[in-house]
Amino acid sequence: MRSWLMSSIGKKQVVAVSGLLLILFLIAHLAGNLLIYRGPEAINIYSHTLHSFGLFIRLAEFGLAAIFLIHIAFTAMVVIDNKKARPIGYIGGQPYKERSLATRLMPYTGTILLIYVITHLFDFTLANSNGPGAFVNGQNLGLYGLIVNAFANPYEVLWYVVAMAAVGFHLVHAIQSVCQTFGLNHPVVTPVLKKISFVLGVLISVSFASIPIYVWLFISTAH
Amino acid sequence: MKETLNLTLKVWRQKNANTPGKFETYEANNIDVHASFLEMLDVVNEGLALKGIDPISFDHDCREGICGACGAVVNGKPHGHLPKTTLCQLHMRHFKDNDVIVIEPFRSQGLPIVKDLMVDRSAFDRVIAAGGYVSVRTGSAQDANNLPVSKEDSDLAMDAAQCIGCAACVAACPNAAAMLFVSAKFSHLSLLPQGQVESKRRVKRMVYQMDKEGFGNCSNEYLCEAACPKGISVSNIARMNRAYFKSGV
Ligand code: HEM
Ligand code: FES
Repeated sequence: MRSWLMSSIGKKQVVAVSGLLLILFLIAHLAGNLLIYRGPEAINIYSHTLHSFGLFIRLAEFGLAAIFLIHIAFTAMVVIDNKKARPIGYIGGQPYKERSLATRLMPYTGTILLIYVITHLFDFTLANSNGPGAFVNGQNLGLYGLIVNAFANPYEVLWYVVAMAAVGFHLVHAIQSVCQTFGLNHPVVTPVLKKISFVLGVLISVSFASIPIYVWLFISTAH
Repeated sequence: MKETLNLTLKVWRQKNANTPGKFETYEANNIDVHASFLEMLDVVNEGLALKGIDPISFDHDCREGICGACGAVVNGKPHGHLPKTTLCQLHMRHFKDNDVIVIEPFRSQGLPIVKDLMVDRSAFDRVIAAGGYVSVRTGSAQDANNLPVSKEDSDLAMDAAQCIGCAACVAACPNAAAMLFVSAKFSHLSLLPQGQVESKRRVKRMVYQMDKEGFGNCSNEYLCEAACPKGISVSNIARMNRAYFKSGV
């Protein structure tokens, strides 16, 4: 079992399963976030409902953190191995068109995501949604207030958009890559999967990124 | 079309595995456009020998694209820029007069440089020795169609069996992974009834040996397929991934 886990293919498959679980989380998270378009009530009720699960939600958060760390630890091992596998590079370069931008950027978009997740936790999850940060025009708007205040700052909006672009690039490669890593490669299905991977990656990325832009343009500045 | 070319070569020269190498620049003049890349190197080597310079070492054998002995990275591409071509089958008419050509050895931890453009591919032999064989007794040749094999499977097995083990896939892979080679050698056996018996053991042992040799991890970049002179498909890698997953759980 250990040798399977630590083999080249085993490590890749751990990266793929953990990545897939993270994608499922992202989709659920996105569904919740989109409630912002229904106004303050909806998003605050959603947040309260989640927290009312108490222990259950704590366990889920713990699991998510573990999956995230596993994903990072195994990709780190893979990337380090790969650097070692070619100690001296080519000077002629490798101009094959098969290597898409998304593929090439994987370790970099991944690193942006790691930094992003930490800042994101401090912005919302760990922030006090009844504290001063939640007040808009002297009114306590809870989580909604936190969001409105955060995205009043254009740099914050920019950082979120950059991070969501990174998510997009990461997923465009990742979704189809998971299929190959688990052995799904078919002359008809694979080209379709690559398209699905692209569309889903862009869709998730753009949907997430729409939120800070919308809040900044239409809510924060209006207050 | 001009019948001869004048070229500038930047060639990686390295005395042996333990000495650091470097690029040397040589002029290759009056090269016949119908010469193969290796013949061009032969001409350059004759000139070097006359000047008392050690000729450039490179591997070759059949010179007809079937043995897998030749190979170097030419302007960043293993076996040069022509698709599905070995270096010995790359002809100089695909270059232009006054071109500068950078020639490097296949680079990877698993294939140490012996000298100049020559690499030691015995890691591949050890991967084969670990599991790339059939040890069940299959008897002598039997009547045709005694052992039914679907056309589809036999085609896939034959496609995988085209691998000549040249290592261009390792050279092309940004991670210096050997997955295309190993998966081709795994697939051509495991697609056929005689090879299925030991399939599980085979995949474990071959992957174990592949890792031990210091090759990298596949990150599904597919540059191997693009570089392969025999057009081996990355679907073989998927097949091996599938088998490996099943062997572990
Ligand atoms: C929301 C967060 C994330 C999601 C949804 C996600 C998802 C995925 C998926 C599905 C894969 C494909 C696995 C495969 O190739 O089969 C993958 C690969 C990868 N991920 Fe992530 N990931 C996330 C965060 C991160 C972070 C934080 C890092 C790094 C610090 C990272 C680095 C990588 C790398 C380098 C690969 C490529 C592995 C390889 O080439 O073999 N990811 N990711
Ligand atoms: S020398 Fe045999 S394939 Fe090129």
